[in-house]
Amino acid sequence: MTARPVVLITGASSGIGAALARVFAAHGHDLALVALPDPQLDVLADQIAAAARVRPITLPFDLTQYDVGARIAERLAAHGAEPAFVVNCAGFGLVGAAAELDPAEQLAMVDLNVRALTDLSLRFVDSLKRHRGGLLNVASVSAFLPGPGMAVYNATKTFVLSFSEALHRELKPGVRVTALCSGPVPTRFQTRAGIRAALPRALACSPEFVAQEAFAGLMAGQRLVVPGAGNKILRHLLPLIPRVVLLPGKLWAMRFAMRQPAQRAPTFFRRVLR
Amino acid sequence: MTALKPVAVITGASSGIGAALARVFAANGHDLAVVGRRQPLLNALADDIAAHGKNRPLVIPIDLTRVDSPVRIGHELGARGLEAAYIVNNAGYGLVGRAAELDRSEQLAMIDLNVRALTDLSLRFIDSLARRRGGILNVASISAFLPGPGMALYHATKSYVVSFSEALHTELAPLGIRVTALCPGPVPTEFHGRAGIDAKKLPRLLTRSAEWVAQQGYDGLMRNKRVVVPGWGNKLLRFVVCAAPRRILLGATDRTMRGRALPQRWPKRR
Repeated sequence: MTARPVVLITGASSGIGAALARVFAAHGHDLALVALPDPQLDVLADQIAAAARVRPITLPFDLTQYDVGARIAERLAAHGAEPAFVVNCAGFGLVGAAAELDPAEQLAMVDLNVRALTDLSLRFVDSLKRHRGGLLNVASVSAFLPGPGMAVYNATKTFVLSFSEALHRELKPGVRVTALCSGPVPTRFQTRAGIRAALPRALACSPEFVAQEAFAGLMAGQRLVVPGAGNKILRHLLPLIPRVVLLPGKLWAMRFAMRQPAQRAPTFFRRVLR
Repeated sequence: MTALKPVAVITGASSGIGAALARVFAANGHDLAVVGRRQPLLNALADDIAAHGKNRPLVIPIDLTRVDSPVRIGHELGARGLEAAYIVNNAGYGLVGRAAELDRSEQLAMIDLNVRALTDLSLRFIDSLARRRGGILNVASISAFLPGPGMALYHATKSYVVSFSEALHTELAPLGIRVTALCPGPVPTEFHGRAGIDAKKLPRLLTRSAEWVAQQGYDGLMRNKRVVVPGWGNKLLRFVVCAAPRRILLGATDRTMRGRALPQRWPKRR
C-alpha cells in the first residue's frame, strides 16, 4: 500500500501559512496543517474541506518542542499520509534590543525558526524524492541584512536562506527547494513582533499575493522568490550600502516600527538614537 | 560583599583556536574561565597557563549542546566570585556530506551548539560585560559568506553568527561593549577530523595557524572591529564570493566539499 501524498504546512492557522494552504488546495493538493492549538486552524480546515475533496489533516502542535518532528511523522503515518511537499512557514520575530528582550523568548525563536525548520526540512526527504515534490522555506528580506533592533530574527532568516540555497543544490534535480523572501506582509506577525507603525507601502504585499508567487516559484524550481518589485529592488540595493550606514539605519527603522503616536520608544532606543 | 573579579569566558577551549585564544587572552593579562567537554585537556591548558606565571584559569567541563549549560556556567562563575568581562564563543563543529544523508540528530545538535548556545551566552552576561566595558568575540567562519552545498548546516549556522554579531555590534556600542565576528578560513585543528575533511587537502593560500588567527581575533576585538577576516587570501575570497553569480558559486562549493571530504563521508549519489 502506498501512502497518500500530502503537503505539510506549518504555521498554517493564519497569515502567509493559511494563504499557502488555500493556494495548494486550489491546485488539488491534499494538506496536513500544523499550527499551535487554535480554533482558526479548524475553521480553515472546514473552509478548505467545503471546496476540496478531502479535509486537511490538522496537527495542533507546538513546534518549539524538540520531539515534535517525530510526533508529526507518527501522526501522518497514522493517517496513511506522507509529505510530497513540506512548507516551513511557522516563525516569529521580536522587535527591540536583544539585550532587553526576554532571552527565553529569543531562544524559542531559534528553536522554531531554525531548529524545527531544519528538522522538518530533512526528516521527509525520502518521501519528497518519491513524490518528486519540494520544500518551501519561508525566510524574509531580513535575510539579506543584519538586523540591529531585530537581531535574532534577521539572523534566523539568514540561516534559513543559506540552508535552503545549499539544499536547493544538494537535492537537485529530484526535489525542488525554494526560499521565500517576502517583504512586510500584514499578518499576526506584526502584533507578535511588536510592530505598530504602518508598513511601508512600496514594500508591503498581501499574504495571498505572496503565497501565489511562492507557489509558482516552487513549482518552477526557483531557488529564491522575492515577491514584489519594491522588495526585488531592495534586495539588490542592500549589498551596495556600506554597513556603517546600513546598520544604524536599520536600528532607526526598527525604532520607528515600534512607535505609536501616543507612545514613546522604549529606553534602549532613546539611549542609542539620542 | 566583596567585589567580583572579571574573567574572559572562552568556550571550546580544549583545543584548536579556542586554546590559542585562551593563551592570547592570558598573555594579555586577562584572567580566564575555560569551557569545554574534555576536562583533562582543559586542565593541561590551565596548568600550562599557570606555568607561565599567570593566574590559573577556572576550568568548567560542560557540554554546551545541553540547554541548561549557559545557566550552569553562570552559577559556576558566581560561586567562584567571578563575572564575565569577555565572552568568547568559539565552541562549534561542522559536518561534511549531504544534509539529507548525514545523521539528523547530529546536525540538530550542531544548531544547539553553533546557534543556540552562542546566542544564549552572548545575551546572558550583558550586564557584567557593560560594567567591565568588555566584549563578545563570536567565532564564525568565511563559510558565513556563502551557502554551502556539501556542508549546508555548518554554513547556515555561521551565517547566523555573522548576522547576529553584526546586529549586536551596533546595538551594544552605546553600552561600551565591543562585539566582533571572527571569520577565519581553514585552520588546521581537530575541526576537520570531526567534520570529515581530509586535513591534507586544505588550500595553502587560505590556511592559517590557530595561534595567528587567535591573535588577529583578539586584536580585532580590542579595536572593536565588526568583522575580522584573517589573511589576505580569505579577505579576497570574501569579496569574490559576494560578486560571483550564485549558481556558479553553489556548484563550485559542492565540488570543493566533495573533493575534500574523507571518502567514507561521501557516499555515492544515487
